[in-house]
Parts: sequence; structure tokens; C-alpha cells
Amino acid sequence: MTALLQVKGLGKRFGGFVALDGIDLDVAEGQRLGLIGPNGSGKSTLVNCLCGTLANETGSVTFEGRKLDGLQAHTRTRLGLARSFQLPRPFVSMTVAANLKVPLLYAVPTREHHSLTAAETDDRCAELLSLVGLVDCAHKYPRDLTQVDMRKLELARAMAAEPKLLIADEAMAGLSHSEVGDIVALLIRLNERGTTVILIEHIMRAVMNFSQRLVVLVSGKKIADGRPDDVIRDPEVERAYLGQ
Amino acid sequence: MRTPVFLAVALATALLVFALTRAIGNDYLFFAGYIVIQFIVLSTAWNILGGYCGYVNFGTAAFFALGAYTSVFFHKTYPLPIPVLLAVAAGVSGLVGLGTGYLTLRLRGAFFSIATLAMAVVLQTFVVNWNYVGGSRGAYVIRPNELDVFGYPIDYIQYLFLIMILLAAVALTIARAIEHSKLGYGFATIRDDELAAEASGVPTLKLKLIATTLSGALMGMAGAPFPYYIGYVEPASTFGLPYAVNSIAMPLIGGTTVWFGPLIGSILLGTLTQIATVTISSAVNLLLVGALLVGFVIVAPSGLVGLIQQFLRVASPARPDARSIGLIALAAFGFVVGVLEVVFSLAALTAPDSTELATATAGLVLAALWIVSAYGLMTVQGWSPIIATLAFALSIPIAALHIWLDRTQFNIALWGACIVIAIVAIAFLRRRRVQQLYAPRLGEQEALA
Repeated sequence: MTALLQVKGLGKRFGGFVALDGIDLDVAEGQRLGLIGPNGSGKSTLVNCLCGTLANETGSVTFEGRKLDGLQAHTRTRLGLARSFQLPRPFVSMTVAANLKVPLLYAVPTREHHSLTAAETDDRCAELLSLVGLVDCAHKYPRDLTQVDMRKLELARAMAAEPKLLIADEAMAGLSHSEVGDIVALLIRLNERGTTVILIEHIMRAVMNFSQRLVVLVSGKKIADGRPDDVIRDPEVERAYLGQ
Repeated sequence: MRTPVFLAVALATALLVFALTRAIGNDYLFFAGYIVIQFIVLSTAWNILGGYCGYVNFGTAAFFALGAYTSVFFHKTYPLPIPVLLAVAAGVSGLVGLGTGYLTLRLRGAFFSIATLAMAVVLQTFVVNWNYVGGSRGAYVIRPNELDVFGYPIDYIQYLFLIMILLAAVALTIARAIEHSKLGYGFATIRDDELAAEASGVPTLKLKLIATTLSGALMGMAGAPFPYYIGYVEPASTFGLPYAVNSIAMPLIGGTTVWFGPLIGSILLGTLTQIATVTISSAVNLLLVGALLVGFVIVAPSGLVGLIQQFLRVASPARPDARSIGLIALAAFGFVVGVLEVVFSLAALTAPDSTELATATAGLVLAALWIVSAYGLMTVQGWSPIIATLAFALSIPIAALHIWLDRTQFNIALWGACIVIAIVAIAFLRRRRVQQLYAPRLGEQEALA
């Protein structure tokens, strides 16, 4: 079986600084992948290259057997590769419900080859709101949301595009213990419904609870890849995090 | 309301306004009204890109002039009826809009605005050096006095007015249709956050190109009948700063997020500048617009519509009730009276007579009272009912004085109405439910205690 996402020799530089250096990564369909690495190791750059926000200089990204290189971000989202942002970027002039309608209007129809009716859009919107637990906030504006609800909105908007692969970029930074549990449970629920999920996170408890497989990036290089328990005992990983 | 229904209503309203203007039977009204309506089209067009997408275009004058010079060109080569010219101008300006969009939309914020300004300069230089359309000398376009419509002669200026007001109805329908559509959602995401928009599957570049094309085409259409209206066009005035400034100021003062924001803004500012042109001078227009723009940016950055929406959120969150509608009406009345009073007082200030000077100064003080009370009422300030009552109370003897000085029928009707409004307003402001709204909140009282 071919992998859902295949990354081959992906490289990206900013001037003289090498942010990503020959990353190889295959993600199978239905997998829950954790991606960790110290600050500045290139995690977010990798996400940006996968999603088309940045263009990679070398290597290639293949999604469902289709090369993504050169495609714009919105096309990739339409193909089924959605992401949430590290710092939530809600559409501030729209209500929570309207925020979720944007992907329903723009990303979903291109895959289903017909526009959703108004009723269908509302239904899916309500379904998403109850899935993430934002039903009471449907008509609130993002500025009135708490931090955790803002994170949920960010995830819900990515989920609204009905992706095959969801990349959650530090969805839990700054949240409390129980809130982290909520989000992990939400992501696992989503995965059980058939969505492949890549989770980028610093909170090790969340990563260990969530991941079936763990990848470690350090200075733009992949230094470990495997079962989470094995990976965190890897001496090279320990060295990267704790020093020698 | 569905779009076709709205279009029908808009067109009917346009025809009604045209019929009413004809009934008044003053030719000057057509001349002045044409300019006001032209600005409705321009500001609505500007708002499609500037208000909905958040891209501030300083090049309105260039698109407008493009439409005007399209007419001049065809007037010289092959005269066409104005509705056809409108379509051609839409095509030309739309194409230029698409082209500039493609070249400049990688720029954001101030850089995009500077690029549009540069585009205006380039186009002006091009026209100045194009002898066929008059170059810097300008070109005369002699319009016929009358137009024969199915054997029924109609004054040409009335014909131009009719075309412009129908165009305004169409422009407003387009703006409203966008707002309620998928396109409107897309535009709003571009205004809020382009990166997040892309991540949600919104093809931002394509949508921005649609916006620049549409906006440019409408601006060009507003410019197409202009040479026939004015009779003589030259680059310096057709590419003039007032078009750019006004089409930015009107939506900002009215409100940029809804279709009726630019409508309100352009009727208000357009009428005001027309009055100032008659009573003071045309040079003072831009000063007036500038002062209002600065004032609004400071005290009501989301425009009149935003101010009222904010008020409604406080006064009646569920749905507008009689109290809040009454208060909005009072504030609107006070604001309009105050602004008019400023214009008339400024006009009086230019007179050398010392009594006039005194009245003018008193007028300015009163105007300040009106405007401050309108602002206070809308921002739910505790002091505002008192100030508003004072303004209305003062207006009663003033109105009586006007009637006493000049007892024509029109004057008695006008100022009599003012007295009635003032009495009703004062009674309304004294109602308990109104007093309650402006009383300090219970929580605040406890906090003070």
C-alpha cells in the first residue's frame, strides 16, 4: 500500500540558514503521527512547505500519489490536506459559525463536485460545532472566546475542510492540563473517523498519549522515527533535548 | 430579500427619485444630484475592493477618468449612445482593473495603495501626451440639448441623471448580492487574514482579481457619461484628487462592511459638498470632507453604520425596539442639523457684516451642541439626554425667530416642522425608559458606593 503522504528529500533555506535538510517522511492512511523537536528545529517550516504556504527548494511532496509541488495552499486544502495554525488565526469579523462556513463553501464543494445547499452547510456546521463543543459559541465573535475555545475553533475550521490529512500545529500551547486532555481526545475522535493526523507539539504527555508513531526533527534534519517509547529513549534524541 | 426583488425595488426607487426631482422642476437639482449619485456609484465601487477585501485603492480617479476618456475617444471617432458607452467603459476599466490587480496584488497594505496611486499618475501622463483626446488642453464634448425618446423629448441633463441613478441602483444591487454570497464570505476572509483564507481553501488571488475588475468596471461606468455632463474634460481635473479622497471618505464615514454604508456616506457628504459649493465655494469642499474624515476616524472608526450597530448592541440586543429606533432618529436628526449648521455658519463667516459674524459664531456653538449630543446619544453617555434636550430647546426660539423674520409659506412650514420635532423630541427624551438607558448601570453605582 502506498502512503497517503510521501515526502522525499525536502529542503528549504532562508538565505544562508538551512531550515530543512533532506527530510524523508511517509505517512500511512489513518495513522496518528507525532512530530516533535526543539524550538527552531524546522517543524513549522515543514508544515508550511507541506501546505504550500512556503515553497520548498528541493525534494518533493506527494499526496495520494499526486505531486503537490508548485500548487498553491488553497488547492492543497481542496485536495484534502488541511492545517491549523500555531497561533490561532480566526476570521475576526465573522462569527464562529461563519468561520466554519468558509471551508464548507470553498474547500468541500471542489471535492464533492457540487456546492452544498444552505441547509447542508448549516447541518455540517452544527455537527462540527457539537463535535468540538462550541455549540454555545456559534454566534459569538472570535474576540469573545477563551483561549481554549479559540484553539478549538482553529481545529474545527481545519476539520471543516473535511481533510484526509490534518496537520495540527501546536494546537495545545498555553492550555491547562485538562484542556490538553480535551484536545487530545478530540483529535483521537477525529482520527477514528478516518482522518490521518500529524500532531506537532511540545507537551510530551499529549504527544505520548496521542501518537502511534513519533518523528523527531533537530536543526532541520530527521533524527528519529519509530514507536514513541523507543524514540524517546533514543540517545540521540536525549542529546538533542538535554544536551550532553 | 432575493437579489432580483432587490434589484426591482432599487430600480423603482431610482425611478421614483427621478420622478420627484422632475416634479420639483428645478434644473439645478439635476446638475447637483448627478454629482451626488455619481459618488454613490464611485464609493460603492471603491467599497467592493476597499471595504469588503480591505485593499485601499487610491486610484479611483484613474478608473473614473478612463471611463470619461473612453467616451471622449468614441465621441471623436464614432459617437455611440450613452448606454453603449457605459458598457464599453466598463470593459476598458475592468480590463485595466484586472491588469493592475495582477501586477499589484502581491503587495499588501500601504504598498498596494501606493501602487494604485502610481498607476493613476502613469495613466494621467499617458492621457496628457495623447493628442487625439485633447492632451493637456482638454477636449470639448458638445452634448445635444434634448434627447428624443420614442417621440417624447427629454432634457439631456435629465437623461444623464436618469442613467446615473439607474447605474447606482445596479451598483448597490451588485454590492448587496456580493455581501450575501459565497464571494462575500471569501472577500471578508481576505480582509481578515489571507493566510488563513488560503488554508481554508479560498483562492485569494482569484477573488482579489474579481474584486479589482468589478470595482474598476463600475468606476469606469461612473465616468463614462461625465464628459457629456460637464461638456469639457481635461486631465488635471478628471484625474483630480477629489475623486480619490471622496470615494474613500464616503464609505469610511458611512461604514465599509455593508452595502448601505457607502450609500449613506455619499448622500451625506455629496449633498453637503454641493451645499457648500453654492453657499461658500467649491474650494472649501475638500476641506470639509477632510475634516469630517479625520473626525470620524477618531470618534467613530467603523462609520455611521458601525456606530448605530454598536448602539443597538447596548440598547436592544435582541431586535431594534421603538425606543432605540426613536433615539437613532433623534441622533440622525441632530447630526444632520449640526453638520448643515456648520456649513451655513461657515458661509456666514465669510460675510464682512459684524451681526452676521455674531450669528455665525453662535451657529457654530449650536452646531457643536447638536453633533456632540448626537454622538453622546449613540455611545450611551450619561450626559447626552441633557445636552440633546438643551439643543432641541434652543432650537424652538430660533425657529420662531426665523418664522417671524420671513413669513413665507415655505418658511413657516419648514421651521414649524422643526418646532414640532423639537417638542416631540424633548417629550421623548424625558420618558422613563429613555432615562433608564442613560442612567448609570446598577453595577457601576454599587462600585461607586
